[in-house]
Amino acid sequence: MNLFKDIYKILATPELRNYLLEGFKNTLAVTLIAAGIGLVLGFTVAIVKIFAMDNRKLKPFAVIGNIYTTVIRGTPITLQLFIMVFAILAIPGFKVTAVILTFGINSGAYVSENIRAGILSVDKGQMEAGRSLGLSKYKTMTKIIMPQAIKNVIPAIGNEFIALLKETAIVSIVGSTVGTLTFDLNQATSTINKTIANYLAPAVLAAGLYLGIVYGITLLIKKFEKRLRASDRN
Amino acid sequence: MIEIKNLTKKFDDKEILSGINLTVKQGEKVVIIGSSGSGKSTLLRCINQLEIPTSGEVWFGNYLLTDVDPYLHEEIIKTSKTFQKLINKNSLDESQAIEAIQAQKLLKHQEGKEFKKAVKAYQEKYHIGIDQARQKIGMCFQHFNLFNNLTVMDNLILAPVELKMMTKEEAVSKASELLKRIGLYDKKDAYPSKLSGGQKQRIAIVRSLCMNPSVMLFDEPTSALDPEMVGEVLELMKELATMGMTMVVVTHEMRFAKEIANRIIFMDEGKILEEGTPQEIFNNPKNPRTKDFLSKVL
Repeated sequence: MNLFKDIYKILATPELRNYLLEGFKNTLAVTLIAAGIGLVLGFTVAIVKIFAMDNRKLKPFAVIGNIYTTVIRGTPITLQLFIMVFAILAIPGFKVTAVILTFGINSGAYVSENIRAGILSVDKGQMEAGRSLGLSKYKTMTKIIMPQAIKNVIPAIGNEFIALLKETAIVSIVGSTVGTLTFDLNQATSTINKTIANYLAPAVLAAGLYLGIVYGITLLIKKFEKRLRASDRN
Repeated sequence: MIEIKNLTKKFDDKEILSGINLTVKQGEKVVIIGSSGSGKSTLLRCINQLEIPTSGEVWFGNYLLTDVDPYLHEEIIKTSKTFQKLINKNSLDESQAIEAIQAQKLLKHQEGKEFKKAVKAYQEKYHIGIDQARQKIGMCFQHFNLFNNLTVMDNLILAPVELKMMTKEEAVSKASELLKRIGLYDKKDAYPSKLSGGQKQRIAIVRSLCMNPSVMLFDEPTSALDPEMVGEVLELMKELATMGMTMVVVTHEMRFAKEIANRIIFMDEGKILEEGTPQEIFNNPKNPRTKDFLSKVL
């Protein structure tokens, strides 16, 4: 069959294979950095929103947080990418930064809602018990609430990570290459297309790679979750 | 030890507690009874400020736990503009003016600098940070509220160690001793999800005891338990009572109340309707609502 021949050809030709590997690497890099930004951002926004529930001084920050999550979750990431790359950060040489930032900021909005829900899902009695022993709100939060919230939130964060990984595929819409980087698997695929004039083989290969990464991540998350759940089963 | 003065609590516009006055002396065991919705749990939670009272004061020894309630202090009322107005314009004498202000809640949001200063001075003199006070006020909840992410031992030593009341070694040895006394030392490394309700509640009580509290509050400690586990928890509470612990207990266990209480308080619709010794309340209730309630539960 032609498909297998083409796949073989891609894998056997160092130049073509390197495109795929480069894309693979960049996809992982962008996802990891963006996820890092998203986690820090999301965590901060969630904490601010939770503490603002009974602290007036934090209310304005919570309002900003609400605007942030509403706008980011209410608009397509494609548009966010366009606006960021061609307007807000339209500085030569900053395309890569702009792209990574966009994904990070986008992911942060979803992560913050996940973490917030996770914190709220911890029984109110846990906070009351901590406070009734004389522990401060902050101490109870860090020692009791957060460890339980994080456990509840791992699956949702894992999903968000997987979604982010696949979303990086749309980078190609803001330009065929970003600097000298071939930016993601799709990008690599389309470059390969030009060489072998067949869309199916590179697409199938790229899909296989995506699937492989996602499956790997799923396994990792499951393992992590299992370890955290030790206190439930003991 | 605990003094509650003219305490009210409103949720939105609904008044849950209206004008509660209650004093609990050192070593006293006070049991609060009443039908659900009568405000007894809210009253208990107002003592350690898990609910913030709308007005009134809660005192713990010589320390004020709530904000100052100006209506309770004549010397503060006297600094208010309203007081001056009543004296000068309406030509009331001092005691009439104070009475009028207290009865009709005449104090406004702004009562002048003097008044503000007086309130602040009083607050600074007597108020104590709530976290500090709570270290000495143990609380047991209906749903135990053991920390799910920590083992039994870590549940017990977390607060004393975090609050630097004991070193970790001291806390562990104290916790071990208490666990041995209730026969649950072998569960020290278990997580709460592995324990029965009765075990959880007894460990929750011991968790409070690790802080060496001077008073213990119990909020329906046996209501969420299977019937066969109620006994073990009550047994531990009785032991505490005979050791001389000051206790305030909200419960539906009337036999237990009869046994340990120095004083029974019957609450209905946010008010204390009747109080007295167990004999007085159970054998000879005076208020018709008390009679009605007791006839249903006994």
